[in-house]
Amino acid sequence: MSLRVLIAEDEQQLARVLTAALQSINYEVTAVENGELAVKAAQENAYDVIILDIMMPVKDGLTALKEIRASGDRTYVMMLTAMAEVDDRVTGLDAGADDYLTKPFSLKELLARLRSLERRNEEYDDDVLTFADLTLDNNEQRLEAHNSISLSKKETRLLQYLILNAGKALSTADLINHTWDDDDEAADAQDLWINISYLRQKLQAVNSTVQITGEKSGPFTLLQP
Amino acid sequence: MDIYGQFGPRLHDVLTRLTDQIEQLSHQEVAAGRPKLYEHLIGRVKTPASMAEKCQRKGFAVSTHAALRDCQDAVGVRIVCNFIDDVYRSLKLLRQASWCQIVEEKDYITNAKPNGYRSYHVILKFETPFADVDGATPGYYYAEIQLRTIAMDSWASLEHEMKYKHDVKDAARISRELKSVAEQLAACDIQMQTIRQLIQES
Repeated sequence: MSLRVLIAEDEQQLARVLTAALQSINYEVTAVENGELAVKAAQENAYDVIILDIMMPVKDGLTALKEIRASGDRTYVMMLTAMAEVDDRVTGLDAGADDYLTKPFSLKELLARLRSLERRNEEYDDDVLTFADLTLDNNEQRLEAHNSISLSKKETRLLQYLILNAGKALSTADLINHTWDDDDEAADAQDLWINISYLRQKLQAVNSTVQITGEKSGPFTLLQP
Repeated sequence: MDIYGQFGPRLHDVLTRLTDQIEQLSHQEVAAGRPKLYEHLIGRVKTPASMAEKCQRKGFAVSTHAALRDCQDAVGVRIVCNFIDDVYRSLKLLRQASWCQIVEEKDYITNAKPNGYRSYHVILKFETPFADVDGATPGYYYAEIQLRTIAMDSWASLEHEMKYKHDVKDAARISRELKSVAEQLAACDIQMQTIRQLIQES
């Protein structure tokens, strides 16, 4: 994947260097020189990363960030802050930035952070997990062993977490936490128990040897016998 | 005379006797306070033309003997159940039944076919008061029982439409979608089964 990057930076020299460096590793780069143009570009185009300088004319980076977030945009945002300004960094992160770099920063470090972001996007948000005789396709919400079956979104998330923590005793609270979003969904131990029951039956239906052990009150453990 | 010869009309009597027996099994369950075994039953005698075609395809003689002995599905009954558990309950009762003997079982529920087909097939052998093709009276007949859930049955109907329409556009895509919906229906069957258990436990 080639990342699409929006850079908002009023120092022309720095903007040119960043643009050239990112283009040389095949990122698609758009560079603008103030916060207002950044907000406009973010409204019109889709980006994977927005790099925002804090100190900019016309509209500063922090104001631009707030407007971008207020419009519902969830793009990964990296702020560029001056060395001394701890408060800027705190305000930036609190206003919805995902990361920051302190000026002057090394180009090497910026590139490493972008690579780390790419990894997170591609590898860790894993499409397919395997465990023992199981294959879990997170995109297709599909479980396969001897046989294949569909999973609901909740079952997929729950099984993914159980696989990533196979062999560990996971408490009811922990599993609820990782399966349901706490801000917009309510779930209790009974909801978890029903989903564990679905998964157990589905593991059996695909003829897998993998088991989820645990009594109704938890904890639960994914085991390969 | 067709491939069944003098046994043609008899096969319908055999089918009636068989469906009566299976209905009895369900009645006994209900009488014992358990849910009915199945949602519905359908039976058929394979048409003489498709039986002749099958004998040819399998390399058997196109004869009455081959149709009733080498082939064992001249008489067929499909047991369509509400829930997966009912499929297994029906199977258990068939295995225990004194009036028939199970000759073969094919579990396409655990071992779903690559296209997504799910069903449990059983070949039964049972005694009737009629003469059979070997000249014995009372005679033996074979029948194929297919056990499946309503969801598996709906899927099979859809797949059947696809199979017998030869000019399906983009058949590969339709096959992929069929396979995917089979997985979703299997998931629904499991979820309904699980909910049923939760209700029974509470």
